[in-house]
Amino acid sequence: MLSRLRYTFRETFDSFRRNATLTLAAIITAAISLLGVGLTLLSQKGFDNLLSKWEGGVEMIIFVNAGATEDQLGVIETALGNAPTFIDSFSYCDAQCSLDEAQVVLAGEPGVLELLNETNIPTQFKVIPTEGTDVDFLRLLEGEFITLPNVFDVQFAEDQISLIGQLQNFFGFRLLLLSIFLLLAAVLLIWNTIRTAIFARRREIEVMKLVGATDWFIRIPFMLEGLLHGIIGGVLASGGLWAWNTQWTNGVGEFPPGSGFAALVVTDGYDKTVMLIMLAIGALAGAIGSGIAASRFLDV
Amino acid sequence: MIRLENVTKSYSAEVIALRDAGFDIAKGEFVFLVGPSGSGKSTLLRMLNRQERPERGAVWVAGRNIVDMPPGRVPHLRRNIGNIFQDYKLLLEKTVFENVAFAQEVIGRPKHVIKQQVPAVLELVGLAGKEDRLPHQLSGGEQQRVSIARAFVNRPLILLADEPTGNLDPATGEGIMRLLDRINKTGTTVVMATHDQRIVNTMRKRVIQLDRGVIVRDQARGVYE
Repeated sequence: MLSRLRYTFRETFDSFRRNATLTLAAIITAAISLLGVGLTLLSQKGFDNLLSKWEGGVEMIIFVNAGATEDQLGVIETALGNAPTFIDSFSYCDAQCSLDEAQVVLAGEPGVLELLNETNIPTQFKVIPTEGTDVDFLRLLEGEFITLPNVFDVQFAEDQISLIGQLQNFFGFRLLLLSIFLLLAAVLLIWNTIRTAIFARRREIEVMKLVGATDWFIRIPFMLEGLLHGIIGGVLASGGLWAWNTQWTNGVGEFPPGSGFAALVVTDGYDKTVMLIMLAIGALAGAIGSGIAASRFLDV
Repeated sequence: MIRLENVTKSYSAEVIALRDAGFDIAKGEFVFLVGPSGSGKSTLLRMLNRQERPERGAVWVAGRNIVDMPPGRVPHLRRNIGNIFQDYKLLLEKTVFENVAFAQEVIGRPKHVIKQQVPAVLELVGLAGKEDRLPHQLSGGEQQRVSIARAFVNRPLILLADEPTGNLDPATGEGIMRLLDRINKTGTTVVMATHDQRIVNTMRKRVIQLDRGVIVRDQARGVYE
């Protein structure tokens, strides 16, 4: 068993050495495509952050000044409760809830976050309209709500969601498409590298077959080689993603407050998950490319 | 040890490599396959280690019909069969020792067994002291000896040799034949395809003659003709 393991690893690394240029090309292509996949996932998460305050079908948010009294909040609640035909439900997001939300939405503006606390953060009423309610009608109600005491702003999901959604689809779709093409190129390149490696060693493989080596014994070093191409590509892409995310986070921190980019920063460890996903996809792409090549071209 | 029953193999409608071929080879026999180029000698050898399969007939090796042998069993069959070729098929970047050790390594022999058995077989073929040479540093005869050592190191039951002296001068060829005869005397069955009239006539072993895929002669202690 030990001698077989030794043989497998020796052959794998020998092949890396012999096929250095093609190996490097396969790894770089895999890394770039995986980085594309990673950036797609990160940007989607950023857009999700931007949309987080609109989760659960919320269409309208009434922002209330910090320090509003129970009575003042009660007036708003009553006004919302008096329109059951148009408003299905509403919830109150208190200071703590608003602070939690700010951690996500303002992740890229640590300076602003630092200034916010329970005494100065505006609280919110999140409004879910009844099915079929025309948002234009809610806009009419806005005129009523905005005049209530301590209400300082009313925002509509439609305004933000349509723009963010459009951006999310625009970037997400194109990045994903590019990543898929690059990933396909990586699989093909790994496939070609392994095919070339098999061709270069055809005489050896012929001898191996004649002396009674099993197909799996011959195949495994090649498959391991492809798997390593994918994994190394994944590691490089993870490094690239980390560098990109760090640069992006630092860059966004320097933008003026309220620029709208703050929520596009991913700081909750999701980037680590994306790196694991990239490694897994890299390993899978490597295994598929080399597995097909090793099975198909072994008859030398 | 080997039995062919009505074996027919064709590569196309016009090219029939073997036609209703049949014979028995007992354990420990030394058999020459003779006949002109294209008579079916190499096809027959390739059939014995399952590199080829016949359209019709049965090929029995060591008590098993290998025609319908599952692919997963073929490597185990081949561990009992050594192969020697006219062009040696050595791995050029490996040393003499590594070439021979390779045959043991790929079937999972432990390192200590390899270290013990490879020098012994190199001694047997007369290559002691040349373990570290690369193939291009050896003469043709020596390269063929490496090939024989590689074929014999796993102590196969059968040795298949396809024109092993084809690239060698007569004196070197005789040396190779003496070596094959020695291996045969250890109980290994040897089947050798050859065009070398002198060798066949000198050795006086069993001769199976093929002509356009048909066995036209099977003679004990035969000559080339």
